[in-house]
Amino acid sequence: MIVISARSRVELFDRPNFIIHSFFEENYTNIIYDSTFRGYMFNSVIVATCNALLVTILALLATYALSRWRLTGADNIFFWTITNRMAPPAVFLLPLFLMFTKWFKIGDWTLFDTRTGLILLYCVFNLPFSIWVLQGMIDGIPVELDEAAMVDGAGTGMILRRIIIPLAAPGLAITAILSWIFAWNEYLFAATLTSVHARTITTGLAEFVTVTGTNWGEMAAVATLTLIPSLAFISFVQRYIVMGLTFGAVKE
Amino acid sequence: MRQNRTGWIFLSPSLIILFIVGMLPFFYIMYVGFFDWNVFSVSRGLHYSGLDNYRRLVFDKDFLKSLELTIKFAAYAILFQLLIGYFLANMLAIDFPGKSIFRIIHTIPLMIAPLAVGATWRLLTIPGLGPVPFYLDRWLGFDYRISANADQAFWTTVIMDVWHWTPFVTLTMLAGLVSLPQEPMEQALVDGANRLQVFWYVKLPLLRPVILSTVFIRLMDALRTVDEVWMLTGGGPGAATRYTGLHIWRIVFPKTDYGYGAATSLLTLYFTIVLSWLLYTAIGQQRRGGAS
Amino acid sequence: MVLAILSSFSLSVNAQGDEDWWATAAAPYEGVTIRGISESTPPSNYVADVLAPQFQELTGIEVEFEPTSWDQMYDKAIKDMEAATGIYDFVYIEQDIIYGYLAQDYLVDLTQTLEDNPDLVSPDFSIDDFTTFIDSFIKPENGHLYGVPMEAFVKPYLYRTDLFEDPDIMAAFEAEYGYALAPATNHQQYTDIAKFFTEYGEANDMDLWGSTVQAASGHPSSFYEVFESVMPTFGVYNWGINQDNWKATVENGGEMNSDTAKAALQWWLDLLQYAPPESTSSTWDEVAATFAAGRAAQGLVYGENAAWIASDTERSQVVGEVGVALPPLEEGVMEAAEAGDGYIGYYDGGAFGIPHSSKNKEAALLFLQYIGQPSVQADWAAAGSRIVHDATFSDPIVVDMDAQTNGYYTLMLDQGYLFAGAPPFPFHPQVREVVAPFIYQAIAGEITAAEALDQAAVAAEEELVRLGYGE
Repeated sequence: MIVISARSRVELFDRPNFIIHSFFEENYTNIIYDSTFRGYMFNSVIVATCNALLVTILALLATYALSRWRLTGADNIFFWTITNRMAPPAVFLLPLFLMFTKWFKIGDWTLFDTRTGLILLYCVFNLPFSIWVLQGMIDGIPVELDEAAMVDGAGTGMILRRIIIPLAAPGLAITAILSWIFAWNEYLFAATLTSVHARTITTGLAEFVTVTGTNWGEMAAVATLTLIPSLAFISFVQRYIVMGLTFGAVKE
Repeated sequence: MRQNRTGWIFLSPSLIILFIVGMLPFFYIMYVGFFDWNVFSVSRGLHYSGLDNYRRLVFDKDFLKSLELTIKFAAYAILFQLLIGYFLANMLAIDFPGKSIFRIIHTIPLMIAPLAVGATWRLLTIPGLGPVPFYLDRWLGFDYRISANADQAFWTTVIMDVWHWTPFVTLTMLAGLVSLPQEPMEQALVDGANRLQVFWYVKLPLLRPVILSTVFIRLMDALRTVDEVWMLTGGGPGAATRYTGLHIWRIVFPKTDYGYGAATSLLTLYFTIVLSWLLYTAIGQQRRGGAS
Repeated sequence: MVLAILSSFSLSVNAQGDEDWWATAAAPYEGVTIRGISESTPPSNYVADVLAPQFQELTGIEVEFEPTSWDQMYDKAIKDMEAATGIYDFVYIEQDIIYGYLAQDYLVDLTQTLEDNPDLVSPDFSIDDFTTFIDSFIKPENGHLYGVPMEAFVKPYLYRTDLFEDPDIMAAFEAEYGYALAPATNHQQYTDIAKFFTEYGEANDMDLWGSTVQAASGHPSSFYEVFESVMPTFGVYNWGINQDNWKATVENGGEMNSDTAKAALQWWLDLLQYAPPESTSSTWDEVAATFAAGRAAQGLVYGENAAWIASDTERSQVVGEVGVALPPLEEGVMEAAEAGDGYIGYYDGGAFGIPHSSKNKEAALLFLQYIGQPSVQADWAAAGSRIVHDATFSDPIVVDMDAQTNGYYTLMLDQGYLFAGAPPFPFHPQVREVVAPFIYQAIAGEITAAEALDQAAVAAEEELVRLGYGE
């Protein structure tokens, strides 16, 4: 992909090869200097970051509740939350579109084409995933620690802050990171439910599939650019991912 | 234990959000599934048709074929992901030079947007222009035409999915491996078991919860794959890669057959839930079995 | 309010009469935001980048223009209009979907609205300025306009002049086939030429094949090439669907699986052996790119690409080597087309229309007239190689481009009437989606041309009945 992004349109249809003759930097500069694309980038950053934070906090509370309280039907609730990730997305766009444009309407304001809308919507696939990952982790923290703290007079908030969050930190990190990536990469919802103001970078990617010659060079450049934040993220937190999954997947 | 009320308060924000963005659309789809609703039919709007959509669905060859293909696709993809993921995880569990670099590089596919994955693979595999068919032909004399050969197209999508999602499996496998207790394995070796036996009778059962959890997540996503395949083959050649997600997409986007699309979606969702439930109860038993 | 009047007054003193009219007419809508959606194409992007900001400055009406992919454009516009959400104030209408939109009564009657609001009638906007393409957006029942054309093109036959006029090649061709090498006028010649150049490319170790084929095996573009570009040249029109009873099979009076139709599909499939290997994944984009890369000697290529293929050195390797001609035809087809009983190829394009659900119809109407006035046409044509006004053909910019493309614009002007848009079906994408998979299968070689069309015709009829057309 990086190779393609470095080639010009004419070169792309030459004999195939992996060698970059000349770094066709126009593909990059075209995009970087395009304010529309910087806007898309900005939207993606905001949406992915806010969604990841929101999802992580909600999932922490939810899994903590599911793990520490004997709630009626907890097992079923847990499974139900996960089924939300299973729906084939295409058909659900119709009710979501209606929801964003008609059902939730205050005066002229709707969720359509807002970053808020996307941040909330992405919970539908990120929250189940996060709950699934975090569940094992929270279960793995011995209840005795909670109880000891309670004896010392700590409230639930204190227990969360002092015990659960530090101990589950790797898991929270990985939840946030993977949620961030899922949100960053999402295409179908963003394409249907945004228009001008809240468009994300993946929808920008699709714009390059135009009638007059799919602009593969620039498209690959955009794809490469979208990859950079994720890459920076992942190398930064590589350690946490392994730690997080260690806690999450296997608990003794 | 503690007061239930606090528990529900903690749980409720998640439930409320999921209800709004997950359940409301679901109910709406359920409602639409009972109607005949194609935007461009002679009679506009929704017409109640009872279970007609579902009746039609059971005999819909295209749908059944796409379901079969999807299961085949998911099964092969997940199988290879597990095998390769397990192998890579074992590699990453030991030390070798350049390990940290390799660990970062091998997770790159995971970071790429599915749409971009599809586009990249399309460029790589376009017959006559992409490097893959070019070198396959030059070095192996293998005629590779993804857009004309159904089997090749199917396997290309499988390989693409494996390429994209194996890092995820590797990471979870690695997590599982790292936290395995060493004593049972050593004990078994002392008792005279060979490596294969240790793997089969000791290591695998210990890894089962991890494997099942991984399969659970991957299955959910593989059964609703759209973006990558849409970019790569558009479901062709013929209907060779028209997986259920894509099939539904075709029914509701270009054909605007909302009623029938809703019914198809629901049946697919139901099917996914049943499959997942079976897996989930298996995991649940593992979890409970492990705890006691 | 007083300020607004004052400012418009001061404008009228300084500026031209034109600008004054726009400012006055738009005064009641100042500060309004109109939102539109279109496919991301050069003509659309020109509207977004140039015309919309100009209009905004002139009128104070803000234009939010969303260029997006083809699929998304349809999906969102249809959802918006079907649910009457009122998000979009103007939408892109491709020629082939207008009949569907009209049947569903999605669009505002522009003629009527202009009559009802004389204040909104721009002195610069006249239906008479447009080419005959505007007829596609006029409802036959009442003769009223429902969309303002913004792009139009025909799908001509492109060939490589450097190859066709090379004396050695010409001699070799004549020696082999017994007639002089020239752009094909019938299908046999076309196949001969395709075969000849494929062999020539092989013999000289060139990346050259005989013809482009738009045969993506999982994309509707292959359906379109078969039914809208190839079938008509054999004399099978309107997808072979009988418009009196909405039937497609021969038994019921249709033509979709007639012997002629089968011969047409077979001819097209046979071309694949003389086409570059990427053809089975080529949509309209890639066909143009293939031709621009010099990989094909001839081909049917959408006209919107003709200009850049012939002139843009950054994207094309065949600049100055592109010839334009009418598609190869069976006997009698030309006569039928000249008599108005048929057509020889595809004339397509799009317009902007206003959905009924729009909340800012008046402001949107002003915008549509703005982009439909003569003064913006020439630069727009240069940027997007699209022409919707008769006068634009004689503009120096277009005349210059016409020379570079060896007469594409002359062909469009003089012989455009021989081409036709998609048939007036209100169910266009629905039937296409049913028929296309059989074409995909035929391309993949899973079924023969005859089987594909027999099955497609039956499936099309079933779908039509389901939609309520024919019994």
